[in-house]
Formats: sequence, structure tokens, C-alpha cells
Amino acid sequence: MQTITNKPFPGEFRQSYDKLFSQTAPLFTVVGDLSLKLSYKTNALCFTKERVYAFNTENGTEPEIIEYSEIEKTQVKRMYGNAAFFAEMKNGEKRILSRFTFAVASIADAASDFINAVNEKGYSDELIYPVENAYMHRRSFCPKCGRKLPRPDAECLNCKGKGKMFSKFAAYALPHKKMLIVCMLLSVFTTAMSLIPPYVTGYMVDDVLPDRNSALLIKMILALLGVYILQYSVTAVRSYLLRMTGDKIVIDLKKDIYGKSQHLPMSFYDKTSTGSVINRINSDTGTIQNFVLRVSQEAVVQLLTLIGILVIMICMNPKLTLFSLFPIPFVVIIGRVFGRKIGPRYMRLWRRGASISGLLTDTIPGIRVIKAFTNEEKTVNKFNDYCEEWMREDSKAAKIAGFFPAFMTFLVTCGSLVIWFSGGSYVIKGSDGFSVGLLVSFISYASMFYAPVSFFANFSDTYRNTLASAEKILDILDAEPEHDFGKGEIPERIDGKIEFKNVNFSFDRSKKVLSNVNLTIEPGDVVGIVGTTGSGKSTLINLIMRYYDDYEGEILVDGKNIKDIDLDYYRDQIGYVQQEPLMFRDTIFSNIAYGAGHVRVEQVLRAADIAHAHEFICRLPDAYDTVLGERGTGLSGGEKQRISIARAVMKNPAILIFDEATAAVDSETEHLIQEAIERLIRGRTTLMIAHRLSTLKNANKIAVVDKGEIIEFGSPEELMAKKGKYYKLIQIQSMGEQLMAQKRAENFE
Amino acid sequence: MIRYIDGPEVRITQNGELFLDVEFYFTKEKLVEVEAHRLFPKSGSGKYISLMTHDGEPLAVIRDLDNLDSDSANAVKNALSEYYMIPKIKRFISMSEKYQIWIWTVETDHGIISFEIRNHIVSVKPLYDGRVLIKDADDNRYEVPDINKLDKRSRRMLEPKL
Repeated sequence: MQTITNKPFPGEFRQSYDKLFSQTAPLFTVVGDLSLKLSYKTNALCFTKERVYAFNTENGTEPEIIEYSEIEKTQVKRMYGNAAFFAEMKNGEKRILSRFTFAVASIADAASDFINAVNEKGYSDELIYPVENAYMHRRSFCPKCGRKLPRPDAECLNCKGKGKMFSKFAAYALPHKKMLIVCMLLSVFTTAMSLIPPYVTGYMVDDVLPDRNSALLIKMILALLGVYILQYSVTAVRSYLLRMTGDKIVIDLKKDIYGKSQHLPMSFYDKTSTGSVINRINSDTGTIQNFVLRVSQEAVVQLLTLIGILVIMICMNPKLTLFSLFPIPFVVIIGRVFGRKIGPRYMRLWRRGASISGLLTDTIPGIRVIKAFTNEEKTVNKFNDYCEEWMREDSKAAKIAGFFPAFMTFLVTCGSLVIWFSGGSYVIKGSDGFSVGLLVSFISYASMFYAPVSFFANFSDTYRNTLASAEKILDILDAEPEHDFGKGEIPERIDGKIEFKNVNFSFDRSKKVLSNVNLTIEPGDVVGIVGTTGSGKSTLINLIMRYYDDYEGEILVDGKNIKDIDLDYYRDQIGYVQQEPLMFRDTIFSNIAYGAGHVRVEQVLRAADIAHAHEFICRLPDAYDTVLGERGTGLSGGEKQRISIARAVMKNPAILIFDEATAAVDSETEHLIQEAIERLIRGRTTLMIAHRLSTLKNANKIAVVDKGEIIEFGSPEELMAKKGKYYKLIQIQSMGEQLMAQKRAENFE
Repeated sequence: MIRYIDGPEVRITQNGELFLDVEFYFTKEKLVEVEAHRLFPKSGSGKYISLMTHDGEPLAVIRDLDNLDSDSANAVKNALSEYYMIPKIKRFISMSEKYQIWIWTVETDHGIISFEIRNHIVSVKPLYDGRVLIKDADDNRYEVPDINKLDKRSRRMLEPKL
């Protein structure tokens, strides 16, 4: 049987290996990449039916041999940047048999499971199948070429070849192939047409003008006119067709990427910022379109032009052709240098751009949170900093982008001077039968010759696109700002009494969302707000948060109209925990400290502890330094919720608002969050929106909202006695629970 | 409540390479075979070390290693150095690319290693203090302690990726 392995066996242990396994080869080996002292060195574990051989450089070339019967349990422990193969011996000793980076860890898992299974059930051939399977399944390299695969068991891009990758994009062009061929033929036609005028010009200078033949001159001019009309009308039609085809291709591509993006698993979005997904749909498709059109069309046209002109020029005068070619090597070299210089610059520029759009996709959808924490100014400053950085990078790129093309054009112009000099000398000497007309047409051809070099610099479309974007940006810039900060008064403290007086509100003035709301909440009250979806519960909160100010009636806090209190100060007094808490692409520490200004580390640790978050944060490899949204660091809904509760703790607010804080989590997590909430609400006015009435067990008052009105308000006992809507809701929910319990019991039987 | 360890009220000894035993002088309490994790592995140095059970239950937080007696501090440092492996890159040897998978070969304080980078944007993070944090395709981590102190050739290789 052939030994299963992840890598070739290390040479330094080969001799000893050959000696040990001359009769029977091991079942499988795990070749590791770290020494026990954490240096990059190869090691190996060889597994047989009864024992494991651990080769480590620290122990020389001979292996340590451990019988499975001596082992209590094995385990692969993943640490930070490295992992270890642990064996817990029956005598209580803990031994590290091998160490490796994460590249090997997944295979070592299978090996560990194998030993534990052998110890539990005794060896059988069946036990090797899961190992084999794991090696195959977790195989992260291509069996053909040994190259790393994009994900375990994926197709190897290397062996698959570029042709297939290209054909994926070509598939989008294929439905339009007829139109692309028509465009190509039209291009060939216009190219051929463009080659006629210089020849006619030469003929006119040499033959028509010296003979003073007016009739022929007019004929020639009419012929040229005909050529021009034909050439440019065909060009116009071609451009139109090409653009339409290009648009169709890019739209198909966009639709497909967007469709795909909707069906990707959430783990993908944990790794990838939405900004970059948006960029892909918007800009990268354009790049593909550019590629398809430019390469399939323009490049072909330019190549034809190049060959056509070269043939004509050589036919006219081979020597002079050679002279006129002299700037070409310079143009090519400088073009390459330019590409090399500008490439990384654009990459950096793109990165800065992506930071800006990342910030935008974070902060614009998260505007409620920013406002709640009065973090507008900080966000604006951050945005400004990013813009400045982008500017700096762009100015560097602009220098290169400005200088190189100008230098290239200069070289091309120098080429024409060379032709003037050498051709002019020929004409003056009258040698080789070189005429003035020939020189004129030669120069025309030569200038056309360089056009392919500079055609990449033409981007008239960009101008139009920029105008369209500018229009959209102005839309936002010209809009009225929402609030004036720093104008209201700042009370000494807020106790947390909230009063709604005849409040009416509608979003679009067509349908009232809240009507005639009157409500008094005393300091320290815990008020549960219940009602069906769309009844207006969240709107009530939105008004308290001052997300909307254009309502009728008054909302008072501690007897003061909230519109008269400084907005910055006011929102600072409210802790707001949403149903789907928004996490920013920053560390957990910063996410908790969000909006709190300069804080001491221990304040954050304490807040996390109160919110029951400290425990799971400790378990993350990067702990408080974990950057959320980064690879592999997606938090569960309950964990995010606890971070957002910690965030609220940091503020030490007078008023707390929970908007369905436990709606999206399982009941165990709900229990943890409930505990966190209980610790937090002591002594603070608290408003809790909840669907599950069980979440409201702490509430001393309940407000029932129905169709925008408060239909019941009072203590839970009062409302139960009243036998109104709240009573019914409780009945329905407990009935539901009873039914569920019954169902479970039936299934159990 | 988080239990903080401030200074000389404990004696910490190593138990194997990775684990620690903690003895509280006043309460006579003992924590056996605990693990030490940094709460701020990227930003902090010797501050805020969490002591945890195998199952990840946090037991206590050491505020500052400098406040411990030197034997205890060394024990914790040893355990940490076994747990955390962030090789410091001294020199970039080569970078090659095929089909958008980059292979970087670098010299680190742990030796020479080749690793793969799929996406520079996600994997390479420059920090304002001159450090560059790198995470390879297998989630192994590396660090360039100061980009300005790299040799010219290495810097020329790394800079376009930032």
C-alpha cells in the first residue's frame, strides 16, 4: 500500500526512515514545517497501525517512537500563527510530538482523529478511509503540478490554463459575435480608406500642382471628399455599433455578478467589504468591457494600420522608412517604463479609493448609529484624512501620468524632424528620384504610424462619465443639512423622564404613522413597547432619538422640549441597542469604545464584562485587537449584540433603548443578553421594543401600540386585569408555546 | 467582574511549554494548567494578558508583566512565546506571481519561509507606525517591524503592494 502524504518526506530523516520502514511502509505521514523550537524546519510524523514515529530536528535524525497504547488522547491545538500535535499520555504527561503552521494543521487533525479512533476501537482498515478522505478532501495542493489551490479540492488554475479563464469572458462576447465581426470589417474598411489621402496628396504636390492642371485638381479634391465622407460616416456607424455591443456585454456581466453576489454565503461578505463588491460590479465590469472591445477591435485595427503604412512606406522608400522608425524603440522602452511606474501607483491609488468607499459603505448605512453617538465630526475628519491621502497619491500618479505621455509625443515629433532632415536633403540633392510630393505623403504616413502608440491615451468616454457622477454628487451636496449642532441648551443632568404630548407624525404626509400619542414615562421606569409589526413602535423610538424632527406636538425630557436641548449632548445621554447591531470595520476595542472619545483600556474591558462579551472576546486569537469584517472573524448575531450592549455601557446613558435586541438570537444567547441587559438597566429609564413578551419580564410598565396609537399603558398586572390587547397577546404567545411543547412531546413519544 | 492580577500577589510557574500554574499568596488559591493569551496581540506588548482554562474560560487578567516578579514574568513570557508565533521579516528574497497567487519568500527571525498571498488588499496591512502586518493564504501571520529599516531591495519589492 502506498503511504499517504501531504509532502515529500524530508531528506534529512530519509536514511533513518528507509531503515525503519524497509519492510512495511507507514500508513500515512504528516510532514510539518516547524521545529519544536518554532524555526522553519521540516519534521514528520509517520503513522503505522500501532505507533507513531515523530521526526524532529531537535532529536537528531532518529525518531521518537510512541505506542498508541501509551496515549490517552491526541489533539491538534491551534495557537497564534502555529499549531501543535499534542499527545496526552496515560501517565498524565503532555507531549508535543510535532509543530507546524496552519498550512499543515487541517491534515494533522485527521491524523489525531485516527489515533483516538484506534485507541477506542482497535485498528481496522476502515479507519484509514476517513484519513484518506480527509487528505483528499482537505488537499490544498494540485496533485498534478503541486501548486496551492484557491480552496481545498478546487480546480487548479495552473493546470486549467488561461485559455479557459479567457473563454469565460469570451462567453459574454460570443452572443454578439456577428456584430463584433461587422464592426471589425468596418474597421478594416475605414483603415484602408485612411491610407488613401496621403498618397493622393503626394500625387497632387508632384503632378497636379506643377502642371497647373485645375480640372485635375478639382477632380482630386472631389475624390478626397468622397473618401473622407465614406471614411467618417462608416467610422460613426462603427463607433455606434461597437458602443452598443460593449454596453450589452457589460450589462450581461453586471447582471451575472450581481445575481451571483446575492447568492454568495455570508462568510464571503465577512471577508469582503461591501465597498469592494460594489466596486466590482461597477468598475471592474468596465475593465472587462474595455478589454473585450479594445483588444478585439481597436488593437486589431491599429495593427492593420501599422502593417498597411509600413508596406506603403517601404514601397515608397525603404531607406527613409528605416530613418522614420528610429524613435520606435525609445517609444516602446519608455512605454514599458511608464507602465511599470504607473502600475503600482494606480494600485495604491485604487487602495486609497477603496478605503474611501469602504468608509462610505460603513458610515452611510450606519448613519443612525453615528448620529446616536454624535460621531459626525470624527467621521467627517476620517473621511477628510482619507481624501487627503488619496490626493497625495493621485498627485504622485499625476506627475508620472503627465510627464510620460508628453515625453512620448515629443519623441514622435522628433521622428518627423528626422524625416524632414533626411527626406529634405534627398529632395534638395534631387537624388534617388525623391520628390516633394513623396516627402509630403511620407510625413503624413509617418505621423499616422505613431497613432497606434498614443491611441491608448484617448478616453473621451471618461469625461462624459465624470459629468454624470458629478451630477449625482451635487445632488447630495446641495441638499439641506438636517440639524444645527451646538444651538440648544445643555442641562446639568438628565434624569430620564419622558413625555409625549399629542404627538402626530407621518413620513410622507399621506399616512399617519403616529397619531395623538400621549405618554408619560417616569425616571427609572422600564417600559416594554409591544405591538404588531408596522404598528409604529420603532417610529416612537426614532422620534425620541430625534432622527425625525418634523412631527406635530411635543416630546419632553425632564420637562424640556427635546428640540431645545443641544442635539450632541442629548443623543449622548441615550444608549441605543438595535436589533441588528452595526459593527464598523475596526477592532473590537474601537467598536466598544465607539463614540466615547478617549477611554481607558479597563473601562472598555469592564463594559465588555458587564455585557457578557469579555469571555468570548478573550477566546478570539486577536482578542480586543480583532478587526471585525476581516477574514474569519465574523461574529454571531448574539456576540455582535453583546458588543453593542458594551458600547451602550460605555456611554453610561440616562436613557436606554433596546430595539428588538434579542429578536435575532437563539434562546440561550437571549438568556445571556437578557442578563447583560439586566445589569445595564439598573436605575436608568429604559424603553424596550420586543416581540417575544418573555423578554419584558423586567418591565414595570407596558405600552401597547396599535396602528400608530397607544391603546394601552400601565403595569403588566393592570393590563392583564383589563383583558385587552396585551392580555390577548399574552394568551396567543402562551398558547403558541403550549402547542410547541405539545408538538415536541408528541414527537418524543 | 474581571479579576485583575496587579503585581507580586501571585507566583506563576511554567507547566510544560505552553501552560502555567498560578498561586495566589494571600488566598492560597491555585490555578493549574492555564493558558496565557494576549488581549491586544497586535497593539500591546506586555500589558493585559488573559489567563484562561483549556476551554477558553477567562480566569484573570494580568495588568502588566513588568509588575510581576521576574521569575513569574519570565514564565508568562515563555508561555506566550510558545503560543504566539509572528515571525519578524528581516528581508524579502523573492516575490513571484502566477494566476493571481503570489509566492513570497522571506527571511524571518524563525528562518526562511515561502508562503502564498491571494489578495494583497486583504493580506497586507500597513500600519501608521511603520509596521506591516501580513497574513498568508493559510492564516499564518508575519510582521515587518519597520518598513523604513528594510534594505532597499526589500522595500522596492514590498512598497508597490501597500
